[in-house]
Amino acid sequence: MKNLENRKAGRLAPSRFSCFPGFLLQSAWLSLLTLFLHVHLRAERLDFPTRILPALTKAGCNTGACHGAATGQGGFKLSLLGYDPELDHLALTRELRARRIDWENPAESLLLKKATREIEHEGGRRFSRDSAAAALLERWVVAGAPYGPKELRVVGIKVEPTEILAASLEETIALRVTAELSDGAREDVTSLVLYSSNDDAVADVTQRGVVQVRGFGSTGIMVRYAGQVAATLVDSPFAGPQNRAAFAAFAPQNFIDKLVLARLERLRVPPSPLADDATWLRRASLDLAGRLPTPEEIQTFLDQPESAEKRPHVIDRLLGSEEFTDLWTLRFADLLLLSGRRGSEAGTTVYHHWLRDQVARNRPWNEIVRALVTAEGRSAEVGPANFLSLANDPRELAEHVGTMFLGTQIGCARCHAHPSDRWTQGDYHQFAAYFAQVTRDDGTVRDGTRGEVEHPKTARAVIPKPLGSAAVRTDRLRSRRAELADWLVAPDNSLFAKSLVNRVWKYLLGRGLVEPVDDLRLTNPASHPALLDALAAHFVARGFDVRDLVRTLTQSRTYQLASQTVPGNKQDDRFHSHALLKPPAAQVLLDMIAQATGVRESFTGQTEPTRAVQLIGVQTPSHALDVLGRCSRERSCETASISGGGLAQALHLMNGSTINRRLNQGLLAGIQEKKLPDEATVQTLYLHTLSRLPTPAEASEWKSLVAASPKRTEALEDLLWALLNSREFFFNH
Amino acid sequence: MTPASPSSSRRCDGIRRRDFLHVGLLTNLGLSVSDLLRWQVRAMASEPARKTAHATSCILIWLDGGPSHLDTFDLKPDAPAEIRSPFTTIPTGIAGIHLCEHLPRTAKVMREVALIRSLTHELGNHDTGARFLLTGHRPTPAFEHPSLGSLIAHGAGPGGTMPPYVAIPGDNVGGQSTAARAGYLPGAFSAFNVGKDPGRVRDLDLPEGVSFDRSERRRDLLHKLDAFARTVEDAPPTRNRDAFYQQAYRLLSSPEARGAFDLSQESAKTRARYGSSRVGAGCLLARRLVEAGSRFVTVVDTGWDTHQQIARELPDSRFPGSGKLPSLDHAYAALLTDLRERGLLDSTLVVLLGEFGRTPKLNALGGRDHWPRAGFACLAGGGVQGGRVIGATNALGELPIERPVSPPDLAFTILKLLGVDPTRELTGPGGRPLRILNEGTFISELL
Repeated sequence: MKNLENRKAGRLAPSRFSCFPGFLLQSAWLSLLTLFLHVHLRAERLDFPTRILPALTKAGCNTGACHGAATGQGGFKLSLLGYDPELDHLALTRELRARRIDWENPAESLLLKKATREIEHEGGRRFSRDSAAAALLERWVVAGAPYGPKELRVVGIKVEPTEILAASLEETIALRVTAELSDGAREDVTSLVLYSSNDDAVADVTQRGVVQVRGFGSTGIMVRYAGQVAATLVDSPFAGPQNRAAFAAFAPQNFIDKLVLARLERLRVPPSPLADDATWLRRASLDLAGRLPTPEEIQTFLDQPESAEKRPHVIDRLLGSEEFTDLWTLRFADLLLLSGRRGSEAGTTVYHHWLRDQVARNRPWNEIVRALVTAEGRSAEVGPANFLSLANDPRELAEHVGTMFLGTQIGCARCHAHPSDRWTQGDYHQFAAYFAQVTRDDGTVRDGTRGEVEHPKTARAVIPKPLGSAAVRTDRLRSRRAELADWLVAPDNSLFAKSLVNRVWKYLLGRGLVEPVDDLRLTNPASHPALLDALAAHFVARGFDVRDLVRTLTQSRTYQLASQTVPGNKQDDRFHSHALLKPPAAQVLLDMIAQATGVRESFTGQTEPTRAVQLIGVQTPSHALDVLGRCSRERSCETASISGGGLAQALHLMNGSTINRRLNQGLLAGIQEKKLPDEATVQTLYLHTLSRLPTPAEASEWKSLVAASPKRTEALEDLLWALLNSREFFFNH
Repeated sequence: MTPASPSSSRRCDGIRRRDFLHVGLLTNLGLSVSDLLRWQVRAMASEPARKTAHATSCILIWLDGGPSHLDTFDLKPDAPAEIRSPFTTIPTGIAGIHLCEHLPRTAKVMREVALIRSLTHELGNHDTGARFLLTGHRPTPAFEHPSLGSLIAHGAGPGGTMPPYVAIPGDNVGGQSTAARAGYLPGAFSAFNVGKDPGRVRDLDLPEGVSFDRSERRRDLLHKLDAFARTVEDAPPTRNRDAFYQQAYRLLSSPEARGAFDLSQESAKTRARYGSSRVGAGCLLARRLVEAGSRFVTVVDTGWDTHQQIARELPDSRFPGSGKLPSLDHAYAALLTDLRERGLLDSTLVVLLGEFGRTPKLNALGGRDHWPRAGFACLAGGGVQGGRVIGATNALGELPIERPVSPPDLAFTILKLLGVDPTRELTGPGGRPLRILNEGTFISELL
């Protein structure tokens, strides 16, 4: 106070300074010095949450492998990547009787001596004594290791440029990151943030924020600072030959093609030409109806003259088929984990029939999801009520809602702030609170009046709140789940629409615009960001109509491209310059084998002829389906770890009964009976299996093989075996 | 510890992914460049690990359901009646170690076995417990961790004649959990599931009426057909699939490898030694497989979830000498003896465990419920010093009072004994770097 008065005095009457006694003058100088220091410190901002903690994060002190581990390291625990500044401040300044800070000799603080490894530190030397970080921490200790204003935090960060088009490999681009603080201040934090590249084979980034282009393709560069994330997209064009003709031939059919073409041109990846008619028909039949086209369908289609309506006409027929309903019921049942282990048999059956009915009637996706989330009643009678049996724990249910309907993994935020997304522990638990009062007594799903979700830190019940929204629940008359559904399926909830269009894109195009499909987040950019936005907007505008979405996708030129590559696009595995190979689901593959050979699969407990895609639930015993890898619906199969089958599957297809017992029945028996000549026989085998006619080279090869074989039946069986085991049969190409 | 900042830690070994972009030799293995990178990283980093490695292969006998420690390897004969096992104890020839009366053969081989009586954790569900034990990680909903078997297969690398990781009958443990699967590793490191009858492994035999010559002809046909390749070009998914076909062909074309799956090649005497039970046949098959070059074989023995009638169920009271305990006793003792006689025990680590122990108090039905706070594990072979007990539970068998061992400790130890460095980083989902294990220390008392 005295200093302040002096300062005032000094300012009011500077000319009187000289008349002051010496000690007063000294005092005035001191106060000026204090003022100077004060201003200087304020300018530098030694606030813990926005300045000091980020420095520790940047030095790697609080990673999961170091002090950020759930149990800390060496008796010192920090919150993972600094999500809990208050706790970290306590740990640094109060724990162990505050011996981590040396107030007398700041430079001797354990904090500094450990980090610079002047004394033994298992984590090694994080920075040197003459580094900026060490100096900053020392100044902070000198200043009294302040926390700063309690409510101060970083509310947003911005990285520039927001997208980068690399001119050449080895090019370097400096990023600039600014942070906005809750008090309105903006700071350049380029040197303080943490950088990481999603794919460092395309571009990596130094901890000074310099991007270095390394290879061709596209990658996100993620930036993290004080609980905030941002990303920039680096595009590094391929250096293949300029294939102008390929670009010129790519005539956009709809908005999808324009946006795909824009990416291809930017990345200089030439598109492949259209798939031929037979390939396209096989692809569309498998993707939309889960079956092969029949030889008659193929012949008719091939014989039709070219026209703009030729392919759309088939799409419409497939969209209206029962098989479409069967296949897409299976897809959504897998997505919803319909009747994993937890479901009762009765519940599974009504749930399946309910879902199939929704698909058959083309009920809009938002209505389906609303029905699932808000369902009430007896699980054995009300199909969607079984959705609530996925888990009893509200948190687990909330995680399911996150992955299934929003394509976001919130699970990390159960125990700590999500390290690469914006979700905090508060977001997580408040979201889970929507399910806190669901009861399931006597197999009946209801909303009770009790039950809350507690925040693990405060142990207090939290108020339900949508993910990433500021608004909390207000209407106490509406049930919690109804309120959740209002927000969840709202047209302006962009994750909801994006999540479904991304999955449908993956079903049809072989790879999600965002992968994994349940990991939509700012720091995991889509391969085609504008396309994902446009598709989501289209889906919303069309009233969440799934069939319309499928029609829009399949009518694009992009969907119709050949899987064969052209010079310059072989390396591309995500920009859809050519069709990607898709392994069929286990049920579809089994049906394909049965259909091709004309020998049905019979299932235990099924009296009517049943295709594998039509089975209810996943409990029907079937060695073939188990070996072919049917989704057990215990957990999501979207990131299934076995692609291309496994050893047991290869052995089964080669040696097992699924193919071998069918070789001499159905199709081949018919061919023998009709005494078809060799050429027609080979043609029939090709139409039934590969859904196309053999090339002249193939036809002559197999014809002479069959003719030269002393045992004709055996030769034909072997040829059929080889066709069914071929790559071309196995993949939807 | 190799901390460094999160983004550069993936490359702290100095290898950059692009250095491998030129490597073309893997096209036939169905492996991506990042798979290769993982191997390279592992190969370079595990040099020190290899020096401490003692075993080349592992047989895991998984007692699915949660075996009661109080009725098998940790009896409390002096405890009150409501806790005491209905069985009596027998000596083992090792001072201080007594076992259940229904494990007489095991008692005779305890000189080979290090018995951990202080295995403890807190996950009392079958699936979570199994995942914790078999991956060394507390289960997270975010993604799956690879099982020990897949990690060992991954460490072994591709190209062998024998499948590196085999599960008998399959990799369903802990009530269809994913505990024994490949997690975020490529599918090539998942188990080969031999199917429910170890005496007849399916699909390894050529179909009826197909001679070896004919199968070769089929193979040539298939090659020719794929070579026309008019429609389907070489791409990562085709390589993955081709890798499995090649693995299958390697297996089928090697009579020795295929024969390893054929129990009928064993003498009646040997088969009798292992007993006529499933677990006996499974253990015998496991021995044949590691002998032929498999690296990790899991034998799953179900039925240990004894919520009732332990006295009547564990040894089957209707048929003296049969039931879970006698079957296991036969199989386990025979396996250790057989491996020892063949000179394979020093290079084969044999692990016996389940997802948790069971409640000290017998319930109203004479059974015991789930109790993860106390359980046991037996380790033998692979350099482990037998004839010793590690850790102890209190007088009522409730919790460890000495040397608690956690699932990560056990996983760490198994990996280390098999030459895989548990502190290595692998590439997880979305390219995130993940350490094989985040916690756990080597159980040094085993050596």
